[in-house]
Amino acid sequence: MTVDVRTQTPRLRRSKPARRWAVPYAFLTPAGVLFVVFLAIPILYALYLSFRAMKVTGGGPFGVREETWAGFENYIATFTDSEFLAGFGRLAIYGVIAVPVTLGLALLFALLLDLPRVRAARFSRVAIFIPYAVPGVIASLLWGFLYLPSTSPLNWVLNNLGIPDVEVLTGGALFPAVANIAIWGGVGFNMIIIYTSLRGIPNEMHEAARIDGASEWDIALRIKIPLVAPALVLTGLFSLIGTLQVYGEPMTLRPMTNEISQTWVPLMKIYRDAFARDDLSLAAASSVVLALGTLVVSIVLLRITQKQAFGEGQ
Amino acid sequence: MRTSQFMAPAVLAAAALALSGCSAASGDGASDGPVTIEYWAWGTSQKPLVDAWNASHPDIQVKHTDAGGGSDSSAKLVTATRAGNAPDVALVEYNTLPAMIVAGVAIDISDQISDLSDDFAPGVWSQATFDGTSYGVPQDAGPQALTYNKARFDELGIDVPTTWAEFADAAQKVHDADPDTYITTFAPAEFGGFAGFAQQAGAEWWSVDGDEWTVNFDDEKSVAVADYWQDLIDRDLVLAEPLLTPEWNAELNDGKVLSWPAGLWAAGVLNGVAGDMAGDWAMAPLPQWTEGESAVAFQGGSAAVVTSSSKHVEAAAEFASWMATADEALKIQIREGQYPASLQGQELTLESDPPTFMPQQDDYWKIAAEIAANTIPEISWGPNVNVASTAFQDAMSAAVTDGTPLRDALTKTEKVVVDDMESEGFTVTAE
Amino acid sequence: MTAATETSSSVRIVRDSGRHEQRRRAARRPLVGSAVLLLGAVYCLVPVLWVLVASTKSNSELFTTLTFLPGTGLLQNISDLFSYGGGLFGLWAWNSLIFAGFGAVLSTLISTMAGYALAKFQFPGRQVWFYAILAGVLLPGITLAIPQYLLMSKIGLAGSYWSVLLPCLISPFGIFLARVYASSAIPSETMEAARIDGAGDVRIFTSVALPMMVPGMVTIFLLQFVGIWNNFLLPFIMLSDESKYPLTVGLYTLLSKGSGTPSLYSLAIIGAAVSIIPLIIMMLVLQRYWRLDLVSGGLKG
Repeated sequence: MTVDVRTQTPRLRRSKPARRWAVPYAFLTPAGVLFVVFLAIPILYALYLSFRAMKVTGGGPFGVREETWAGFENYIATFTDSEFLAGFGRLAIYGVIAVPVTLGLALLFALLLDLPRVRAARFSRVAIFIPYAVPGVIASLLWGFLYLPSTSPLNWVLNNLGIPDVEVLTGGALFPAVANIAIWGGVGFNMIIIYTSLRGIPNEMHEAARIDGASEWDIALRIKIPLVAPALVLTGLFSLIGTLQVYGEPMTLRPMTNEISQTWVPLMKIYRDAFARDDLSLAAASSVVLALGTLVVSIVLLRITQKQAFGEGQ
Repeated sequence: MRTSQFMAPAVLAAAALALSGCSAASGDGASDGPVTIEYWAWGTSQKPLVDAWNASHPDIQVKHTDAGGGSDSSAKLVTATRAGNAPDVALVEYNTLPAMIVAGVAIDISDQISDLSDDFAPGVWSQATFDGTSYGVPQDAGPQALTYNKARFDELGIDVPTTWAEFADAAQKVHDADPDTYITTFAPAEFGGFAGFAQQAGAEWWSVDGDEWTVNFDDEKSVAVADYWQDLIDRDLVLAEPLLTPEWNAELNDGKVLSWPAGLWAAGVLNGVAGDMAGDWAMAPLPQWTEGESAVAFQGGSAAVVTSSSKHVEAAAEFASWMATADEALKIQIREGQYPASLQGQELTLESDPPTFMPQQDDYWKIAAEIAANTIPEISWGPNVNVASTAFQDAMSAAVTDGTPLRDALTKTEKVVVDDMESEGFTVTAE
Repeated sequence: MTAATETSSSVRIVRDSGRHEQRRRAARRPLVGSAVLLLGAVYCLVPVLWVLVASTKSNSELFTTLTFLPGTGLLQNISDLFSYGGGLFGLWAWNSLIFAGFGAVLSTLISTMAGYALAKFQFPGRQVWFYAILAGVLLPGITLAIPQYLLMSKIGLAGSYWSVLLPCLISPFGIFLARVYASSAIPSETMEAARIDGAGDVRIFTSVALPMMVPGMVTIFLLQFVGIWNNFLLPFIMLSDESKYPLTVGLYTLLSKGSGTPSLYSLAIIGAAVSIIPLIIMMLVLQRYWRLDLVSGGLKG
C-alpha cells in the first residue's frame, strides 16, 4: 500500500504543477474581484475626482456646471483650510483623551479579570462588553440624553444637593464628553482582546512568581503586561485608527450643542463638503490626505513598537 | 442614461432637456399604459397626498419615499442625480432650490406649469420661478409668525409684542419675573430663521443682475438684526442654544421658553414635542422692525420639482401641480398642518378648524391669511445657499460660544459665500 | 471545541486559585479589584439601563419626568413603534438581519478562502496582496463610500439590497484574521499528508483546512456581523427607500425629520431599546466562541 502511494506520487507531482500554481489564485479570486471592484476602483476614482472640479459656464444667473481638470487646486484648498487643520488639532485633543483611557481601562479590567478569586468576574466581563453591541448612532443618542442638564440624572442628584447644573456639552467638558462615548463603546472589545491574551499565558509562570512571594501587582507589571504587549500594540493601533476616523459621535451630538461645528473633526468636514456643499472633488482630496495620514501614522507606530509587524516574514 | 461613464452634469442636463422635449412631443404619457413615477418628500402630509392621487389617477401611479428631512433629502438628491437615478419628483425647500438648479437636479418645467402662475401670490410663485423660468410648483409656505405660550404671557401680564422693540421689553419683563424663564431662543444654527428676520428688515443677501451676482450678508440691516439679538443675549434675556433638542423640549414643557418666532408650521412641530400644552399656546403676527409695517418673510416652505433623471416629465409635472392646486390635495395639506402655497389653498384654510395645538384660537387661519398676504414679494436666494447655511451655522455658533460679536459672523459667512462662488466661476461682487 | 477548551481552562484557573486560598496578601486584593470591575460594569450598563427605562415613557414624560423613573407609555410606545409607517420598524429589523446575516456568512467564507491561500501557499504577488489588505484595514470607510455609491449607480445597483450587501463582503480585516488563524491552526504536514494520500486542493481545503479553521471563522463571523449590524454610513448613502433601510439608518431618520417635523425621540428610544436587546442576547450566547486572542496572534513575531 505505502509503496504503491509512493510510486504514484511522482506521477501526480508531474501532472500537477501546471495546475498547482493556479491554486492560491483560485482561492483568492472571490476576495480579489471584490477587492478590486469595491476598494481599488473606488480609491482610484477618488484620486481622479480629487483633481477635478465643477466650474460654472454661462447660461443665466445660475449657469451650468461642468466638470473640468483642476490640477492641485483641491489639495491647495485642503491644506489652506484653517478649519480642516483645526479639525486635526481637535482630533489630537480627543485622541489624547480617548486612546490612553480606552487602553488603560481595557488593560486594567483585563488584569483584574485575570486575578485569581476575583468576584463578579463573569458578570463584569459581560457587562463591560455589552456596549460593543450598541451601534454608535444609538450610543451617542443615549449619552446625549444623559449629558443634557434637563434630562441628566447627574444633575438631578446635584440639584437635590443644592449644587447647580453641570454643563457637559460646553466648554472644557466637551472633549471628555465626546471621548467618553468612544471609550464606553471601545473598552469592552479591547478588554476581551487583552484578556484572552492573558489567558494564553501558561499558568506556571505566575505560579513560580507567586511562590517567590511576588505580589499580584508585581506579576501584572513584570510578567503579564510584557507578555500581552502584542495585544496592546494592536489594540493601540486600532484605537488610533478609530480616532482618526471619529465622526459618528460628534455628528450625532452636534444638534444638541452650539459648540460642535460641522467641521469639528476632519471626517465631518469631508462629509459636509461631499453632501451639504456638493463639492465631491474637495471631499475626495481631503479624503486622500486623511487616508495617507492614517497610513503614515499606522506604519510609524508599527515600526516603533514592533519590528516584525503583523507577523509577515515567518 | 446610466450607461455612459462618469457623465458630466452638463451632458446630463442636455440629455434631460432632450428627454423632456421627447416626452412633450410624444404627448400624453398615459397612452402607453400606466406609468409609475417616484416621489421623494418628507413630512406627515406626503403619504396621504400620494394615496389620494393614486386612488384617482390609475394611469399615473406614484411611489412615495421619505428620503429624510430637508437637508438630508437635498444632499441625497444631488448625489442621486449624479448617478442618474434621482426620483421623478422631489420636494425641495425654497432656499435650496437654486442650489438644486445649479447641481442639475431640477429642470425647467415652464411649459408644463406656466398656466398656474395666477394661482399663486407673486411672492410665492417667485420662490420657484427665476427670470421667467419655472423649476417647481410651490406646495406649502411658511410665512414667519410668532407662536407663543399665551397662558404664561397672560400670567405674567405681557401683551403680545407688535414690534421687536416691544419684544425686547417683554423679554425683560419675563426675565424680571423669573430669571430661569426666557421669552424665546436665539438658535445660532437657524439659518432660515435669521434670514427671515433680516429679509423682514429689508436685507438682500444675494442679488443678481443679468448673470452678475452681488453678495451682501453684512449690510446695515442684517447687522442691525444681529446687534438686536446680540443685545438680548448679552442681557441674558434669550436662551442661546439649539432648538428641539431634548434639553430645549424639556424647557419648553416646563414653561421656561415662552415663544418661537418661526414659520407657520411651528404649531405642528410644537404639538409633536409638547402635545400636553395644547390650548396654552397661540399664534400672532411676527413683531415688526418698524411700527405700523406688516411685511414678513418666509421661513421654510417647499416646492415640488421635476428632476433631470425623470423619464416622465409630463406626468411628473402633472402630479406636482395637482398636489399644490387640487382641492382634495389642499384639504389634505391643511389637515396635516401645512399652510398651502396656492391662493385657493389659503382660502380653504378659512373653513378649517384651528390646528390641534391651539384649538382655542378661532381666528388662527384668519390671522394666517393676513400674514400670508403681507409676505415680501421678492426674495432671492443665491446658487450656493447650502454653502452659506453651513458657514452661517458654524460662524454664528462659534460667535455665541466664544462671545464674539454676531455681526462678525455675518462678515465671515459673506467671505465664504463669495470665495465659493468665485471658485465655481460665477461673476460676483461682495459689498 | 473552543467551548470545551474554554471551560477546561477556567476550571483549571479555579483549581489553581483554590490552592492558594490561604495567601493573605493576594486574598485581600481581589476585593478592591472586584469593586473596580463592578464600577466598570455599572458604567457600561447605565446608558443601556437608561434606554430601557426611557422606553417606558411617553413623548412628553420623556422631557418632564425624572430620568430614571419609569413612565407609563411602554405599551403605547411599542405599538407606535411597530405601526410606524405601516410596520417599517419590522422591515428595518429584518433588513438588518439580512444584511448582517448574509453579509457575515459570505464574507467569512471569502475571507477564509483568501486567508488560507495567503497563509499556506507561496506564490508571486503574495507580498503585494498582503500590503493591499493592510492598507484596506487602515483606510477610513467614509472616504470610499462616495466613490462606491457612484460606482454602484453606474452598474444600476444603487438603492438596491446589493448596494449595501456587496461592499460588505470584502473585509480586509477578516482576511487578515483568517490568514493569521490559518497559519497557526493548519499544520503544513497535515496538508502534505493529505496531498500524498491523493486529495485534491479543493478536498484538502474543505475536509482538512476548513474544520481546523472553524473557531477562527466563528470569530470572523461575529466581528463581521456586529460590524455590518452597526454600520451606518454605507446604507445611509446607498439607500433612499425607507423600506430597505437597516435599523441604524431607520432610527436615525426618526431623529432627523427636517424642518416642520419634530424628531420622534420616544419612537427612536423604544426602537433603540428593542434593537439592542437581540444583539446583547446574541453576544451573551455566543461570547464563549469569541477567539479574540487571534487578533493579536498576528503580532507575535
